[in-house]
Amino acid sequence: MKNHFRPYLISAMACAALLILAAAASAQSESVAPPVERNSPRLPDGKPDLTGVWEIPYVPDMSKGIGPLPFTAWGEADFKAYDPAKFDYTAHCLPSGLTRQMNTPMPLEIFQMPKRVAILFEAWNTFVIVPTDGRDHPKDPDPTWMGNSVGHWDGDTLVVDSIGFNDKTRLDTIGHPHSDQLHVIQRFSRADPLHLAYEVTVDDPKAYTKPWTNKRVFTLKPKWELMEYSCEENNKEVTEHLVK
Amino acid sequence: MRTRYFCFLTAGAAFFLTGVPAFAHHSFAAEFDVKQPITLKGTVTKVEWTNPHVWIYLDVADAQGNLQHWQCENGAPNTLARMGWTRNSLKAGDQVTVEGFRAKNDDKTANARQVILPDGRKVFSGSAEDGGPGKAKDSGQ
Repeated sequence: MKNHFRPYLISAMACAALLILAAAASAQSESVAPPVERNSPRLPDGKPDLTGVWEIPYVPDMSKGIGPLPFTAWGEADFKAYDPAKFDYTAHCLPSGLTRQMNTPMPLEIFQMPKRVAILFEAWNTFVIVPTDGRDHPKDPDPTWMGNSVGHWDGDTLVVDSIGFNDKTRLDTIGHPHSDQLHVIQRFSRADPLHLAYEVTVDDPKAYTKPWTNKRVFTLKPKWELMEYSCEENNKEVTEHLVK
Repeated sequence: MRTRYFCFLTAGAAFFLTGVPAFAHHSFAAEFDVKQPITLKGTVTKVEWTNPHVWIYLDVADAQGNLQHWQCENGAPNTLARMGWTRNSLKAGDQVTVEGFRAKNDDKTANARQVILPDGRKVFSGSAEDGGPGKAKDSGQ
């Protein structure tokens, strides 16, 4: 008899415990509603906090979804002539360049400070530093693979302005061209606590007749950590001449 | 064995549900020929769990029964790890089938798109496929 009722007794106790827990949780959520769940976090200076590891979509073709790009004659001829089988600089582990770096599907991590934002990329284990202290670009910067970036806030949107690129990279994997006149404007804004709206505008009068913009969404990955990525570790493409 | 391959199933399902293309540090067309698909059935002899690509080495018997030594490029360990692969997922001696594409510049190198396990399950191997069939256009093809 005793054994017969035991399961019911245990069930009743478990139900009671669950009810108590649920009541406690309910009371807690009413008294200390965590604002972070409804609103994007902000730094003490009031700016939206973009800090975190973000999953970013793979964008091998930046024209996808926005139609044919407004090529100049030079831009169109260069794009048509491009053949990665003849040479693809990234296969040799050279730096991707800013836009192609942002197009990789490997995550990035943003560290935001009041006067400085750092973007760390898993792909190539490289980075971009963005001063947000009001400074302008240096005059006539030396051309580099990732360019020179400065940032400012437009309301709740971080605007990163980049110039000073060399002409050795491509905008994306399929090879959209740019010149050393490339000017990139990136806009980062927290759409909601888990998503970052990202817009990148490409302005290059040698390659395109007018600026054009590609938009996408990044997703916060609180449990992800950036991983090591050594492009040179075992790059058989080059050591075994699998690419030119 | 069942536990070891469970992660593969998850990874494969994730890929086929989302269709998210994987990524290589180079354009697909820089190294591989999308017009030359190939299926390799053989014995794993070595796995290199390295950047920028995981390489699987296979011994494959040709029509005369002679063993040919193949090497197959897969995705980066970072990408494969987030899909459920580990560095111990495949080991020497495993019998697998690799579906992929031939390299342009070497007759015993291929790009692996999918690995078929001994029990028939097909799993995505995260290989370079920007420009692969049904994926983003690659101007080099």
